[in-house]
Amino acid sequence: MNFWFAVIRQTGRNLRQTWTTQLITCLTVSLSVLIFSFFYLIYLNMLSVGNKLSDNLHLVVYLEDEPGPEMQEQLRLKITQFDQVEAIRFISREEAYHRFAQQLGDNREILTDMPRDFLPASIEVVPLRTLRSLRQVKLFSEYLATLPGSQKVQYGQQWVERFYSFIQLLSIIVLLSGSLLILTATFMVASTIRLTIFGRQEELELLKLVGATNNYIRTPFLLEGLLQGFGGALLGLIALYSLFQWTTHHISGVGFFNLFSFTFFPFSTISTIILLSILLCAVGSYASMQKFLRV
Amino acid sequence: MNKLTGPPEERVTAHHTAMIEIIKVAKSYPPNVTALADISLTIASGEMFFLIGKSGAGKTTLLKLLCNMEKPSNGLIEIAGMNIHQVTGNKLAKLRQKVGMAYQDFRLLTNRTVAENIAISMEVSYKKPQIIQDRVRNLLAQLQLEDKHDILTGDLSRGEQQRVALARAVANSPTLILVDEPTGNLDAASTEQVMDLLARCNHSGATVIVVTHDEAIYRHTRHRVMKLDNGRIAGLTQGSSSGQPLTAGDQDDAENMDKGGELP
Ligand SMILES: Nc1ncnc2c1ncn2[C@@H]1O[C@H](COP(=O)(O)OP(=O)(O)O)[C@@H](O)[C@H]1O
Ligand SMILES: [Mg+2]
Repeated sequence: MNFWFAVIRQTGRNLRQTWTTQLITCLTVSLSVLIFSFFYLIYLNMLSVGNKLSDNLHLVVYLEDEPGPEMQEQLRLKITQFDQVEAIRFISREEAYHRFAQQLGDNREILTDMPRDFLPASIEVVPLRTLRSLRQVKLFSEYLATLPGSQKVQYGQQWVERFYSFIQLLSIIVLLSGSLLILTATFMVASTIRLTIFGRQEELELLKLVGATNNYIRTPFLLEGLLQGFGGALLGLIALYSLFQWTTHHISGVGFFNLFSFTFFPFSTISTIILLSILLCAVGSYASMQKFLRV
Repeated sequence: MNKLTGPPEERVTAHHTAMIEIIKVAKSYPPNVTALADISLTIASGEMFFLIGKSGAGKTTLLKLLCNMEKPSNGLIEIAGMNIHQVTGNKLAKLRQKVGMAYQDFRLLTNRTVAENIAISMEVSYKKPQIIQDRVRNLLAQLQLEDKHDILTGDLSRGEQQRVALARAVANSPTLILVDEPTGNLDAASTEQVMDLLARCNHSGATVIVVTHDEAIYRHTRHRVMKLDNGRIAGLTQGSSSGQPLTAGDQDDAENMDKGGELP
């Protein structure tokens, strides 16, 4: 029989003796993993929704006069001075007229009396499809308004701002629930281990007297912490996955949501969350051992 | 190579050397209890040794010093050539695995079974489960406690607890066995079983120190008997060397130990 066999048997014994406390700790850890990963999942999906929405995002700068080729080059330069952009398109009055006519379709005869240049020339600016450019869209529009010859700048102001603040709120919630996870995982596990240590003071004392090495005494507690972290994270993620399946199944008929495909965490994120939980619980049990296990 | 960790053959051939050297040891407890004063003693490897004396004489304290539960206030204790109070960490653990002590207050885990209690001393040196199981059954048979295998030690009588504590002390085949009043709660038949078990351990090479009040145990013994009184050595019989091959070291150390006291 080697060291690990003995240690694992000892750990099993501990778990059997104190399984109610262990279960409560495990459930607490899993609950905080669930809360954290729930918000994180929403956040990730909202980010991808944001990316999709920002595909359609563009700013339109209406100009007083139609710019000549030289002027176009200058405007292009000024725009890219602010930030990199996906695309810049110049729309002449003529083009604007044609587009409008196309949009009207069968009703285009109402245009017959209008002059061909009644619509202003404009610049269409498509920002990069990143969250940063989404955040900056207001600043960007203010900047574009200062361009020479600019009359008015338009973009889907309302939703962009709301959506941005929603994502910001989400990221704060993710941070908060992340801290909650850190606190519960470490403190709950630390206090459970402390309780077991106090409850088994007599046995630990005896183990020392009959010649147990420090590692033999300590490793079971560390393993206990690792197990709590692993079990808790696994349970929390399974719960989240079930919730996710249920939700996507039930909203799949609802129109708006059909536009987006919601996804669960990729495998790498799942393993990161589990590893993180294990690490936190191990830290908790280690701290408790350092403090209360006099070996 | 020290005798504690050496293979059995080496232990036997090394029996001329001392297992325990106690040099001018004193122990006092706060505030001002002097439990032991100026104790010097050598016990040979493979010897069986009796320690007697009134209650409060310091017998338990001496054993506690020998198993490193307490540190001496003064003096030096060497076991197999090692100053045990300077050993720490894994070395101390290894040393303790080779010193089996049956405590006066038993120190059993009352919420564990008899078998589990005995197994503890073997588990810490990572013995195979099968070996542990066999050894536990074997020891219980020698002490006629076979039917108590799965009983919680908290439910046993004091006499039974005492024997379980002894079984745990000898289970890991330690080279030094310290037993503190092992027959205090036992009838004559059980006492004999206990002493037989200790004799067998001694015959297979272990050094055994027995603290006892029971005159019947040491009256006709051929082993050395030391009496403590008020923390001092009040007498030490020589023992007879006949039929006592494992205590041949006595002669060499005679000057050291012989306080010439006659036992009552
Ligand atoms: N932990 C302790 N604190 C204070 N005094 C102690 C302690 N242990 C033992 N003593 C005292 O030391 C003396 C010797 O005790 P002990 O070795 O237990 O005697 P014995 O085992 O021979 O009956 C006694 O007077 C006892 O009261
Ligand atoms: Mg005593």
